Amino acid sequence: MANMREIREHIDSIRQILKITNAMYLISSSKLKKARKALDSTEPYFYKLQETINSVLEHTPHTRQMYFDRRTDIPNEKRKKGYIVVTADKGLCGSYNHNILKFTEQELAKSPDIGNCYLFVLGQVGRMYFTSRLKNSSKPYVDGEFLYTTQNPTSYRAMEIARLVLDKFENRELDEVYVIYTDMVSSNVQETKMVQLLPFSRRHFGKAPDGTIKKLPKASFLPSPEEVMAHLIPNYAKGIIYGAMVEAFCCEQQSRMTAMDAATSSAKDMIKDFSLLYNRARQAAITQEITEVCSGSAR
Amino acid sequence: MAKTFHLEIIATDRVFYQGECEHLVITAIDGLLGIMAGHEPLVTALPTGELKYMVDGKWRYAAISEGFIQVMPESSVILADTCELPEEIDIRRAQEARERAQEKLRQKQSIQEYYQTQAALNRAMNRLKISQKHFK
Repeated sequence: MANMREIREHIDSIRQILKITNAMYLISSSKLKKARKALDSTEPYFYKLQETINSVLEHTPHTRQMYFDRRTDIPNEKRKKGYIVVTADKGLCGSYNHNILKFTEQELAKSPDIGNCYLFVLGQVGRMYFTSRLKNSSKPYVDGEFLYTTQNPTSYRAMEIARLVLDKFENRELDEVYVIYTDMVSSNVQETKMVQLLPFSRRHFGKAPDGTIKKLPKASFLPSPEEVMAHLIPNYAKGIIYGAMVEAFCCEQQSRMTAMDAATSSAKDMIKDFSLLYNRARQAAITQEITEVCSGSAR
Repeated sequence: MAKTFHLEIIATDRVFYQGECEHLVITAIDGLLGIMAGHEPLVTALPTGELKYMVDGKWRYAAISEGFIQVMPESSVILADTCELPEEIDIRRAQEARERAQEKLRQKQSIQEYYQTQAALNRAMNRLKISQKHFK
């Protein structure tokens, strides 16, 4: 039979942890409420933006705009790929970080030369993971000055990030840019997603509802397609990054809430089990004492 | 009643307007642009500026900051960073933002910072102008 004192200490320490997980649960649920509100108000913009851009691209005449330049002269091994990865600032949120990191690893493994991969990681956890990663000394390049938190996303922060990536693309420091984030499909379903941000691809033909391919009418652009695209694309990039940040933040809070809820309930279970053990040990001790007293007095 | 077209104005933080509209006037990068039902397909970028649209014969005004518009014969979509009614504009906040930007412009900045401050100043001035013009 385990020592009574030991069990009591064990229960106390579980209680301490329970307090922490419970507090984290409450915090994340209130944060989730806020994040959900932000998500609900941003989602129409996010989806409409993608939809509109798609239809705009269908009507775009051929342009020599730099954001459309696919740089086909650069062979696949030499292409510099940039990934904007949205992770959390803290752990303790179930498999949220793990999923994102695993997905990113898979994407990195696909590229022929990992040295040509540039990571722009949002959130402490991802940054720590990728900077300390050592595998056959081949490491993706992690931008150390890219320090952004994922807490309470703002469109200002998204604008800064968008500008940074667009600058790098213009200066040929990057040839392709992707955004990796977690999408909130429904409140229980989360999905890791990757969206290509740059370069833009223009579609010559759209599919008609009956499945036949038709040539789309060109829309007019004022003052010129190049000029409009120069304004529109930074705006689009910002919108996409902002949307991804909001989605990811909401997912993070959601998964932290679920994880902490599970932790709290299993802590409660453990306390229940240990108090049973404790009571048994106490009973045994009392019984033993009584027997000792009785046998002492009988003499 | 005039012919109407479907107008959607969507800002990053909310759906600003969704419904029928008779006439829309926006500030595009190269000047004012009027749009009525049956307009040819058009895409253009919008700088920070004023926007007015007519619903049931009445003009409505709004302050808009950077975005773009896609016009189709029967519908138009405006996607912008922010969009506010004149009465929603926080004058105090806009004034503070203007002063902050003016203060910053006096200091030495990199070219990028300069553009950023200028854009911020622009937004603040636009808000003040529109709230003074339409909301007293």
